[in-house]
Amino acid sequence: QDVTWRVPTSVPEGSPFYVNFLERFASNVDLLTDGAVEIQPFGAGILVPALQVYDGVKDGIVEAGHSTPSYLVNQDPVNAIFAGFPGGMGPEAYSTWIFQGGGKEKLAELRAEEGLKSLVVGIGSSEIMAHANTPISKAEDLKGLKYRTSGPWAEVMRDYFGAVPTVVPPGEIYTLLERKGVDAIEWGPPSGNLPEGFHEAAPYIVVPGVHQPTFLWEVVVKQETWDALDEAVQAKVEAAAELTSLQSLAHFYDQDMKAMATLRASKAEVIELEPAFQKQLTDAGRDWIQKTAEAQKAEGKPRMAEILAEYLAYEDRWAEQSGYLIRNSK
Amino acid sequence: MKSILLTVADRISSGLNAIAQAMVLILIASMLYEVVARYVFGAPTLWAFDVAYMSTGVLFVLGAAQVLREDAHVRIDFLSALLPARVRGAIDGLAFLAVLCPIFTWLAVIAGQRAWRAFQTGEVEHVSPWAPLMWPFYSALAIGLAALALQILAEGLRALAAPRNDDSFKIET
Amino acid sequence: MLIAGLMFPALFVLILLGLPIAFSLVIVAVGAGLGAFGPVAFNQLYGSFYSASTNFILSAIPMFILMGALLERSGIAERLFRVMNLWLSRLPGGLALATIAMGAIFAAAAGVVGAVEVMIGMMAIPAMQRARYGNPLIAGTICAGGSLGTMIPPSVIAVMYASLAQMSVGKLLAGMMLPGLLMVGLFLAYIFIHGLVYPARPEPGEEAETPVSLGEKLWLTVTVMLPVVLLIVAVLGSILAGVASPTEAAAVGAAGALALCILNGRFSVEMLRSSLAITVRISAMILLIVAAGTMFMGAFAANGGARLIRDVIDGAGLGTTGMIVFFLAVVFILGFVLDWTANVLICVPLFTPFIRSAGVDPVWFATLVIIVIQTGYLTPPMASSIFYLKSIAPPGMTYGQMCRGVLPFIVLQVLTLALVASFPALSTWLPERIVGF
Ligand code: NA
Ligand code: NA
Repeated sequence: QDVTWRVPTSVPEGSPFYVNFLERFASNVDLLTDGAVEIQPFGAGILVPALQVYDGVKDGIVEAGHSTPSYLVNQDPVNAIFAGFPGGMGPEAYSTWIFQGGGKEKLAELRAEEGLKSLVVGIGSSEIMAHANTPISKAEDLKGLKYRTSGPWAEVMRDYFGAVPTVVPPGEIYTLLERKGVDAIEWGPPSGNLPEGFHEAAPYIVVPGVHQPTFLWEVVVKQETWDALDEAVQAKVEAAAELTSLQSLAHFYDQDMKAMATLRASKAEVIELEPAFQKQLTDAGRDWIQKTAEAQKAEGKPRMAEILAEYLAYEDRWAEQSGYLIRNSK
Repeated sequence: MKSILLTVADRISSGLNAIAQAMVLILIASMLYEVVARYVFGAPTLWAFDVAYMSTGVLFVLGAAQVLREDAHVRIDFLSALLPARVRGAIDGLAFLAVLCPIFTWLAVIAGQRAWRAFQTGEVEHVSPWAPLMWPFYSALAIGLAALALQILAEGLRALAAPRNDDSFKIET
Repeated sequence: MLIAGLMFPALFVLILLGLPIAFSLVIVAVGAGLGAFGPVAFNQLYGSFYSASTNFILSAIPMFILMGALLERSGIAERLFRVMNLWLSRLPGGLALATIAMGAIFAAAAGVVGAVEVMIGMMAIPAMQRARYGNPLIAGTICAGGSLGTMIPPSVIAVMYASLAQMSVGKLLAGMMLPGLLMVGLFLAYIFIHGLVYPARPEPGEEAETPVSLGEKLWLTVTVMLPVVLLIVAVLGSILAGVASPTEAAAVGAAGALALCILNGRFSVEMLRSSLAITVRISAMILLIVAAGTMFMGAFAANGGARLIRDVIDGAGLGTTGMIVFFLAVVFILGFVLDWTANVLICVPLFTPFIRSAGVDPVWFATLVIIVIQTGYLTPPMASSIFYLKSIAPPGMTYGQMCRGVLPFIVLQVLTLALVASFPALSTWLPERIVGF
């Protein structure tokens, strides 16, 4: 049985997500299936529109697609739980929930309703909270701050802290930050931001990334395409997905540490937020997602609240018990 | 019959062209408002970016049919100019009627299906914090593609009947 | 992969048959798409069309074109060039020099190419024709001056390149600065020498410009030039001051041009109407080519086009120099028909791993690629810059004159390329010094 899947993703070829997640997945699938399944990766916008990868799979244009639940949050906020949200679990706890705590089964159920098979292919590390032209170290610093961000964090910043979320298209972020047209921007994890050169454009780097403690990407396949595979091959592809996620997370950590060392050595100043302020931000994020889930419930869609309850219980247990773990932080 | 078809196609193209022109003004107004709102009021909008990219998309799709009517889609005709006018007309007519009209009709149908699906599912913009409904934009694309298909039909018939005999470029400035 | 290989020859045949460029691209894309996707090909093609229709970066195009159309139709451009002619008529090639300078200035405001070319073309062509410049020189000046938008920061193409290649945007923009200035310098020098050798000759009796006194000259300069200079300052300044992003600056320019028309008493509804009409006409023409190019690229990639190129590299056993030459040749050929977005999207990810493992300086290589992309715009028979010029060219200007006109400028770009290739410091010296805050 020989199968070839064209797999478009939502980021351009050459982006760390593309290389670390999708290309790694392609080679792991090749390795584990002994070449029976070939994954052909394609960068954003080549085969299907960058933000419509899920639609492209549903419409049968491509056999499978690689994207993130972030792009579905506007259609259905339940996706925010899987996309990573302000105040949510960090990569350690989250990947444990996904692979051992029932998370990926919940995601699979959600996608199954749309006729899609979901494979988690890529869990990321924490992002950098901001590259900023003004120092940020307390809630007052956020007031009136023109901050390029999106999704749940934009709402939290506006509604809880009086910041001004600003929409800037990707191609113009650097110029606008450098010319001080915006006060702050957030983009990705340290290893993703380093090559973009934001640390050369603005003097402050604010961490940790409470706004996006982790993030998840998935490969979706049409159910009938998936069912057409032998069970033995299915198991190998699933194994390749999990292997990819674990390897890519370790790769992110490794790259991020090196990137952080470079960022700290640069002219920009790294500001680490005080625990009290971190808690303020985290609480606001959790409040936001709980209110969103309740609003969904009031509309007769209880599922978000159900999944969120499990998620938050897992997060709380992790927070209470993880004190025994050695993290080697200074 | 044929003349009615040609008239209808021309009217539709020119009507949509007027809307496309309005889109230019909307595009500029939205960008300008964003600059003022962000810089002067310190309160950038959530919608200017979406309005800008959508009005750009709409203005070119709705304008495309009229551009064809004016034969202003650029051609390189230094070689084809050597052919007799009848042959050129036949090439144009054949390509327009047999190839391009079906292609653009089909694209318009897909665009229409997409608009209908967006309407039924209440699809909103994927990443915009403003999250506008998408079906009006999809519909504009579908209408523009359909009008282009119709104008291609009209120009194909014209090319067979009375081939253009001069250099195709006659935009006056 | 066979289909991918046949796509370019098929495209050339259709274009040479005289079909519109955009339609030729669509036809080939559909043929190749059916081969790659079967019955769902049209869904895929519509997706590509949709991607191009939702590309925010393209928004600058209609705004710059409207700016040019307003200045031209209101007579402001005409008066501007007349005043410039008062000062520059003794200078060989004076108006062409001014046009290149204007291209360079607006290049600093615009990231996209067709926009600036059409804008300065609308303003400068009538003036240069009145001053009896030859059509080839006019065509070359407009195409070359208008294509500077890629080389002179801020350049959207550089931002996109840097993002795809995972390199510093600031370093690349800085790296392109000296080569960009070098290119402008070469253009200016050529036009000056050309003007010395072949001075523009007004027909006898047509020299209507009566000599004006210095006072009049200064007064005209202040009343005509100053507002336009202020407009330029507003566009550029809004970016430099961080008031506007490059795309938003285009809106500042269009609105500023409108304000200028009103203040000058040149505004009329009819004038606005006809400016909007030509804006839509040219924008729709350009953007349909971009959309069709995106469809073409999707079909090319789906048929294994990228692998085709990769196989050639792997199979040919080229050394570092041979590889760089091959890459530049690929960029050049794709540049015949694809707009730069598509070109960069295909090429940069393809080349970057090879360039990195060969230890080539990424800023230097990127600068070479961007110079080649810019040269690709100008090179006949398939040249975006000539397509765009055709849309505003006066009836008397032939395709042959355009091709002849761009030729010297292509030589100058190749010379720039050769200089940067032989002296990498031209692109690597500055970034080390100026990037940072
Ligand atoms: Na982010
Ligand atoms: Na530029």
